[in-house]
Amino acid sequence: MNRVKVLQAWLWCVSLWSCWLSHAIPLDCKDETGSLIQCTSISQEKLLDRVIQHAELIYRVSEESCTLFIVSSQLENMQRMMEDMFVPYPLHALRNQGGTVCHTKPFPIPGSKTEIQQISDKWLLHSVLMLVQSWMEPLIYLQTTLNRYDDAPDALLNKTKWVSDKLLSLEQGVVVLIRKMLDEGILTPSVFEHTLTPYDEPSPEIPESVLRDYNLLICFKKDAHKMETFLKLLKCRQSNKLSCLSY
Amino acid sequence: MYLSVYVNNNIYKLRGPHFTGCRSREQETFRCWWSAGIFQNLTEPGALRVFYQTKNFLSEWQECPDYTRTVKNECYFNKTFTQIWTSYCIQLRSVRENITYDEACFTVENIVHPDPPIGLNWTLLNVSRSGLHFDVLVRWAPPPSADVQMGWMSLVYQVQYRVRNNSHWEMLDLESGTQQSIYGLHTDKEYEVRVRCKMSAFDNFGEFSDSIIVHVAQIPSKESTFPTTLVLIFGVIGVVILLVLLIFSQQQRLMVIFLPPIPAPKIKGIDPELLKNGKLDQLNSLLSSQDMYKPDFYHEDPWVEFIQLDLDDPAEKNESSDTQHLLGVSRSGSSHVLNFKSDDDSGRASCYDPEIPNPEDLASLLPGHSGRGDNHPLVSRSSSSIPDLGVQQTSEVEETPIQTQPAVPSWVNMDFYAQVSDFTPAGGVVLSPGQLNSCPEKKKEEENEKKIQFQLVSDGAYTSENTARQLSASVPPSPGPEQGYQTFPTQAVEGNLWNGEYLVSTSDSQTPYLLPEAPPAPILPPVSDYTVVQEVDAQHSLLLNPPSSQPAICPHSPNKHLPAMPTMPMGYLTPDLLGNLTP
Repeated sequence: MNRVKVLQAWLWCVSLWSCWLSHAIPLDCKDETGSLIQCTSISQEKLLDRVIQHAELIYRVSEESCTLFIVSSQLENMQRMMEDMFVPYPLHALRNQGGTVCHTKPFPIPGSKTEIQQISDKWLLHSVLMLVQSWMEPLIYLQTTLNRYDDAPDALLNKTKWVSDKLLSLEQGVVVLIRKMLDEGILTPSVFEHTLTPYDEPSPEIPESVLRDYNLLICFKKDAHKMETFLKLLKCRQSNKLSCLSY
Repeated sequence: MYLSVYVNNNIYKLRGPHFTGCRSREQETFRCWWSAGIFQNLTEPGALRVFYQTKNFLSEWQECPDYTRTVKNECYFNKTFTQIWTSYCIQLRSVRENITYDEACFTVENIVHPDPPIGLNWTLLNVSRSGLHFDVLVRWAPPPSADVQMGWMSLVYQVQYRVRNNSHWEMLDLESGTQQSIYGLHTDKEYEVRVRCKMSAFDNFGEFSDSIIVHVAQIPSKESTFPTTLVLIFGVIGVVILLVLLIFSQQQRLMVIFLPPIPAPKIKGIDPELLKNGKLDQLNSLLSSQDMYKPDFYHEDPWVEFIQLDLDDPAEKNESSDTQHLLGVSRSGSSHVLNFKSDDDSGRASCYDPEIPNPEDLASLLPGHSGRGDNHPLVSRSSSSIPDLGVQQTSEVEETPIQTQPAVPSWVNMDFYAQVSDFTPAGGVVLSPGQLNSCPEKKKEEENEKKIQFQLVSDGAYTSENTARQLSASVPPSPGPEQGYQTFPTQAVEGNLWNGEYLVSTSDSQTPYLLPEAPPAPILPPVSDYTVVQEVDAQHSLLLNPPSSQPAICPHSPNKHLPAMPTMPMGYLTPDLLGNLTP
């Protein structure tokens, strides 16, 4: 619990700091020589496009990571073994259900299209930001777990690392977007009621930890899909409001 | 619910009521189907019911919101009841029995199978220069049910094409746009193209669209190929004509190049025409300048006489046969003059020693005149095989044994004895191939040794009795006025090859060609007219087989002295006779 509180406080400080920075000082831009210069401004449309590209990429990479994980971890072999022994193995259920246990979000995100269409831009952006921020730490944790495996393929590790980096950029972009589109700075960090999964538990048996990691990846993929969907909806609204509304 | 049945060691899984599948077309609604399985009593409607539960806040099981009336065993979830990013669990229950036969959990986005794209069409991009291949651009539109514009669904497409009625489809890479180029299609083939789509980052492809036919007729394009073909044909014809003209104009030279004339055998520096014309003195001068012959042998003995072989010269046939010459003509005396082949054989004179008393007589006696260079078989044949058999002039050599001096080292290649097979009209001797004397030893021997060396006359066909007498006797042949033959030294001593050997009678007696019937001098026992040459000694003189000598094999001691010759039969010395003769 202590650790959780420490983490929360730390995150709060960090986000405060970054928000203050982003609000007070424009984003650091470096030219070729490396000195800080005033960032060149970018149009809102272009920024949104870039953000959407980021989200799409992250989503695709998350899906590739899932597949890679399944293949390299031989979870499917495990599944077959278990099935032969008539022991239910939740692998497919895990996949089909989009993760049994994904950490809950501070506020629920609607799932139906109609409901989503009714979400305001503000809430869309904030939801995206929240999602991005909620995944930054678990991905770091995932990297450490994957490094612990002996036969984890380098591609998987690289992808996870890459996703972590890209999430940071995505967060930056979304913050700028919020500032531009909503004309508001984020003064208060999102209230994250992180119910962190018990990562601090002693590492259980390998198959279970593998399952848990797989579950994590699947949850991340789902959330990446959410980010992408929201951002695209946002874009649609920017260009053509009428067609994007529910019909 | 599975029922495992063992039948003959095979497990058969018989299924009870179960879900057959759930699908969503546009991520906004979805349907689920089930079947009763082997339990036929549950097929009536209402026996089985579907319950679902969303893993959201509500954890109660709810019944299917809509059992489709038109389709059997289908449960339809409309927009209200469809949520993405939410896992659903459905159950198939028989309420009456309160048994859950099947359960399945999923999220809607995982069961999305998009509708097929619409509006598939193609446009020609280009045709290859050869007219055999072409490229097309295929376009389509996303399925209308999928809300791509809003970004609700991000679709990726896959184009497939094949030759019509072929079984194998070519698959192209996933394309996120709504068009794709297909390259490398053949012009005369019909192609089927179809497209399908799926949600990006998901695995479920939708149905294929209707196929379209892509076909580009092969343009005969005669305009483009016509000139090329024409040019090619004309070019080839032109080249052929040029070649033919070239060949005909340069026929001679080409003939020389491709079919070079086979060089006739010739002596270096000697023109074959010269030999034909019979310019003997020129020949002699030429030949003397040759270093073909070993001068040692050549200069050792001045008595060099050569035998002339006169083979098949048809011109000579016109003249009286040699036999006549030998038999009759010779009797007529030395006045008989042989018909020389050509009168312009001036070289003939050079062959003659000035001391020669009667060159005409000699000429008349000879079967083949050496003077007739043009008839000289050796000249016409080869330069190397000249059987120069020296005939010792008995009249001139006192003590020196008769020796022959071969003018050509290749003397040894010749047969040392051969049988005369025919006489030419001009008096030449036609030889039949004889045995090779395999022992042409050229040992240097003492000239003083009393060895009788025979010198073959006319390839040994004939030897005069006198000569035989001379040979058989140990005494040096006396140049007395004997009947018989006298060997005649010819000018060949000086290098003239072409002096055949001929036996000349003494000047006074002018004895003609000795007949075999002529009685020999009583000094010596009669000698056969021809004997077998036994060997050749170092001086290249022939050793005829004396009656008392060894048989005609390789002699190891050529220095045999010939004992007194026994009576020789008049004729060819046969080996059995030889046996009689050997001591």
